[in-house]
Amino acid sequence: MKPAPTISSAFLEPGGHSLPEPLLELRKQRGTALVDMPLPTRKTENWKYSSRHLKLTDELATTLPATGKDGYSLSIPGYRVVFHNGVMIPEASDFPDLDGIRIQRFADLDDDEAAALAERLDNTLDTRAVQMARLNSARFEDGLYIQLDKEAVLDQPLFIVHEVTGTASGSAYPRIYVDAARHSQITVVEEYLSSGEEPVMVDTVTEFVLADGAQVTNVRLVMEGENVQHVGATGVRQAANSRFESHCVGFGGPLRRHDLQVRLEGEGGECKLNGVVVTQGKQHYDNHTSIEHVAAHCDSEETYRNIAADESHAVFNGRIHIHEDAQKSNANMNNKNLLLSTGAEIDTKPELEIYADDVKCAHGATIGQLDRVSLFYLVSRGIGRREANTLLTMAFINELVEQIPVQAVKDAAQLRLNEFFDQTFQEA
Amino acid sequence: MLSIKNLHASVEGEEILKGINLEIKAGEVHAIMGPNGSGKSTLSQVLAGNETFEVTQGEISLNGENLLDLETEERAREGIFLAFQYPVEIPGVSNLQFLRTAVNAMRTHRGEPEMNAAEFMKLAKEVSKQVDLDPAFLKRGVNEGFSGGEKKRNEILQALLLQPKLAILDETDSGLDIDALQVVSKGVNALRAEDRAILMVTHYQRLLNHIVPDHVHVLAGGRIVKSGGRELALELEERGYGWLGVKDEEATPSAAS
Repeated sequence: MKPAPTISSAFLEPGGHSLPEPLLELRKQRGTALVDMPLPTRKTENWKYSSRHLKLTDELATTLPATGKDGYSLSIPGYRVVFHNGVMIPEASDFPDLDGIRIQRFADLDDDEAAALAERLDNTLDTRAVQMARLNSARFEDGLYIQLDKEAVLDQPLFIVHEVTGTASGSAYPRIYVDAARHSQITVVEEYLSSGEEPVMVDTVTEFVLADGAQVTNVRLVMEGENVQHVGATGVRQAANSRFESHCVGFGGPLRRHDLQVRLEGEGGECKLNGVVVTQGKQHYDNHTSIEHVAAHCDSEETYRNIAADESHAVFNGRIHIHEDAQKSNANMNNKNLLLSTGAEIDTKPELEIYADDVKCAHGATIGQLDRVSLFYLVSRGIGRREANTLLTMAFINELVEQIPVQAVKDAAQLRLNEFFDQTFQEA
Repeated sequence: MLSIKNLHASVEGEEILKGINLEIKAGEVHAIMGPNGSGKSTLSQVLAGNETFEVTQGEISLNGENLLDLETEERAREGIFLAFQYPVEIPGVSNLQFLRTAVNAMRTHRGEPEMNAAEFMKLAKEVSKQVDLDPAFLKRGVNEGFSGGEKKRNEILQALLLQPKLAILDETDSGLDIDALQVVSKGVNALRAEDRAILMVTHYQRLLNHIVPDHVHVLAGGRIVKSGGRELALELEERGYGWLGVKDEEATPSAAS
C-alpha cells in the first residue's frame, strides 16, 4: 500500500525570529512534531471532498514577506488591527488603550507574558481533526493576543484585517488568541482580503476562551481572491453562562476551508453559529463545524446556508456531540442549500452523537433550487429576471445577513453579493 | 385592446385550450365563466406568459402587438396584469420591497424616474387603505402567513399600484367571505377606466353582482361555447351549465384547472 503523502520539509523551515523566546520555543516544538505529518487525502473522512483542492506545493512554503504599507487601502472607522501577510502592522492599526483590555502583538510580549500565552495556545481545537491548525502553530510569525479583564467591555467592534499580497508565491499564518475573563464582552471582526495574482495560502487560527458569563461575538468575512487557498480554524471554549456568537460570511475560491469547534464546558453556556457561503465558477468551500455539549443545561443554535452557482462545490459538515453528563442540552442545527445551476454540487452532512438521555436535539438539511412559481410571480409584475432571481436568492440568506451585528460587514458582504448576482443572473 | 384568435395551448402534451377566440375593447369588463377543468385558469396563465403552458396555435395581441413574442416581464410592462388564483408566498422578500421593485420596473420601462423608499411608502399606504389592508402587511414577507382574503386584497393592491391596461382576475372571489368580497369588488371597480379592460375568470356569478360585466362568456372543454351580456351570468346561476350541454365538474376537485 502506498504510504500517505506527508508534509514537505520545505514547510518546516525555521522562522519566527521576531517572536519572544517562549513562543519561538513552542513554535519549534510544534514544527518538530509535524515531521512526517500525513496530509489529508480523499480517504481522510473530514477532508473527503476537499483534499484534492489542497495544493501544498513547495513554492507555497515560503513565508510571505510583510512589507506593511503597500497593497491595501483601508478606511475602517473605529478600532482596527491590520495584519499584512501574517504580521501585524502597527502603523496601519488603531485601537484604544483602555482599562482592563490589552491588545498586543505577539512580538511585543515580554517573556513572562509570552510564557503564559505559550501555555494557553493550542488548547481549544482538536488538532487531530484540524491538521492545518498544527501547521499554523509551527509557522506563525506574529499574532494578536487580546486579554479582557473581568467585566471589561470593548465599546465598539474590533476589526482585524488580514491582507495577503500575492506578488510572489508563499504562505501566511495569522494567529489570534482572545482571553475573555468573567463577564467581559467583545466583538471581534476578522476580515480576510488579498491582492496580487500569484498562488498563496493563508492558514489561520483564532482561539477564544470565555470565562463565566463572558460574551464574545465573532464575525468572519472571507473575501480573498482566486489565487488564495484559505484554510482557517476557530476554536472556542466556553465556561458557565457564557455566550458565543459567530457570523461567518464566505465567498469561494480554489479552496476555502473553515473548521469551527465550540466546547460548551460550563452549565448555562450558549452558542449561536450562523454561516453564509456563496460559490461560483469552479470554486470550492468547505465548512466543518463541531459543537461539544460537555456540560449540562447548555444551548446551541446553528444555521448555515450555502449558495452554489455554475460548477462550484460547497460542503457543510455539522457535528454535534452531546456528552453523557450534558443533560438538558438543547441543540438546534439547520443547513439549507441552494443550487443555482445543474453543474453545481453541495454536500451536507449532519453528525449527531448523543450520549445523554434527557436532551432536545433537532437538525434539518435541505437542498433545492429557486422556486419557479415564485419566479413567475415576480416577473409577472414586470420585475426583470436578474432582479427576480436576486430577490429570491437574497430571501434565502436575508435572515442571516440581517443578524450580522456590524453594519460595515453587512455593507461589504452586500457589495460582494451584488457582484455575484450580476455575474450569475442574466436577463431573459 | 386584446385580441385572441384560435388559441390552442397544452400542458405536458395535453391540449387544454382548443381554439379560443375573444376580442376585448378598452373600457370593457368581460367575465369568463365555466365549470372547473374547462381551461379558465389556463387561459389566464397563458395570457400572463407562464412557460408551463405551450401555445401550439393561434395569436394573442395587445393593442396590435404580438404578446406571444414577449417574455412574462415584458408583457407585464406592456400592461398585462394577472391577479393570481393562488398568490405565492415568498418569505424573506418583504411585500414593500417587492411592490416597490415592481412599480419601479414599470416606471423605468416608461422612462420615468424610480420612486424612492419614502415616496413609495406614502403611495403604498394610501393604496393599502383602498383595499382595507393594514399597512403592517407591507412589512411582512410577500403574502407570508396572509389569510386567503388578505392575499386577494394584496393582489388588488398590486393592480392598483401597477395600473395595468388589462387586468385579468383569476378566481379573485374564491375563498372570500362577503365582507372581503365587497372590499375586493370595490378595489376592482376602482380599476375600471376608459383606457383599461378587465377580464374576470370565475366559477360563480356572485362576484358579478358587485362588478357588473359588459360581456359574459362560457368556457367549456377549452372553447368558448356561448357569449352574451350580463343576463347570461344570471341564467347560468339559475340553470347551471347543463342546458349548454356542459357538464359541471365542480364536484370533482381533481379536475380543477
